[in-house]
Amino acid sequence: MSEANKPVQEKLTQLSDLVAWFQSPSFKLEEAVTKYKQAEQLAEEIEKDLTKLKNDIRVVKKKFDGDE
Amino acid sequence: MENVQLTVSDFVALVNQTLEYAYPSVSVIGEVAEFRVSQGKWVSFKLKDDDAIVDCFMSVYQLRIPIENGMKIMVVAAPRLNGKWGKFSLNIRAVKPVGEGSIKKGFELLKAKLEAEGLFAPERKRVLPRVPSRIGVITSTESAAYADFCKIINERWGGLAVEVAHTQVQGDPAADQIIRAIRYFNSLEVLPEVLIIIRGGGSAEDLMTFNDELLAREIASSRIPTLVGVGHEVDHTLADMIADRRAATPTNAAEMLVPDRQEIIRAAHQQASSIGYLLIQAIDQNALRVREQLDGAYRRIRERLDSAFERLATVRVVIAQVNPENVLKRGYALLTGEIKAGASIEIETYKSYVSAEVKDVRSK
Repeated sequence: MSEANKPVQEKLTQLSDLVAWFQSPSFKLEEAVTKYKQAEQLAEEIEKDLTKLKNDIRVVKKKFDGDE
Repeated sequence: MENVQLTVSDFVALVNQTLEYAYPSVSVIGEVAEFRVSQGKWVSFKLKDDDAIVDCFMSVYQLRIPIENGMKIMVVAAPRLNGKWGKFSLNIRAVKPVGEGSIKKGFELLKAKLEAEGLFAPERKRVLPRVPSRIGVITSTESAAYADFCKIINERWGGLAVEVAHTQVQGDPAADQIIRAIRYFNSLEVLPEVLIIIRGGGSAEDLMTFNDELLAREIASSRIPTLVGVGHEVDHTLADMIADRRAATPTNAAEMLVPDRQEIIRAAHQQASSIGYLLIQAIDQNALRVREQLDGAYRRIRERLDSAFERLATVRVVIAQVNPENVLKRGYALLTGEIKAGASIEIETYKSYVSAEVKDVRSK
């Protein structure tokens, strides 16, 4: 994952961790609503981040038609 | 030249000079006969047609695709008179099969050779990163395949650092150019995570570049995992067979390389929704548990009450039995006052009060 993608990857991991927390013994109803709001927020941010990411495509200047 | 006396060596040198000037490079098509490899280094065979035959000579290194007797090939060569043996031959620089049959035969021979070396073995295949960040692409930047590839990766994903090496993808220099590009990427200080080699569809001859033995070996020895997408779905080349992953087309290569951002976005929202569902489920479960606990408490209160009412009913029966009213009802009377002759007494029956006077008192 590139530097540009890193926050997205981190957010995806956080989201997966939240899902896992809901299915784990650590689950507490008192904290669940806050965590659910966090998950919704993360999904929104992931959408925004992914939509705006652009690729950097560069053609190498080196020519490959001669001897090295 | 009639009056010039030459040594044999001078004559051979003169002929070779003339040949080199007149025919620096010739392309000759013919059928292979008497193919032979000496000392594992030198290849010799005859090239013939119905009316003529010529000796051919080359190094094993220059033979980029296996040939055998009967195959129709085209050689790119320099004609030369060998002074040592006094024989005219073609010094070959490149060989390529001609015609569908020969191309297929050459492909099969090389495939068998590489397969025997285990170069297609599944255990050699490396896994490509799920989401690479830095990739190298080898292709012709003027091709439609490259445009399609860029379009698809830009649609599907972002944040990639893509370095593109422009090479020819068909014709004689193509294989060597691609080999140099592979070496270039493998020599970088920071290696790309994946190396992609792509080319659009074409005839069997157009795709022959990707059946080159040296190119196949270069792909096999690349330190960077390789993804090759050449031609159409039905085209199979040695390059894509030897690569870590084969893509059916350049577009398919782009699809295999990066995930679809729309799918990731959908999955993220789905995960958030699944959390919502889990939350509702947890609330429902809690509500159910509380309801069950309340039901239990109500049941226990009810049981206590029932038991108390039962006990009360029993006591009431007992009390009723000793109630003086009931005794009176059975015809008895209640007498109050002093029991002595002449005393006034009160008599209570079920229905009335009687005042009376005691006339006589006797012992029983």
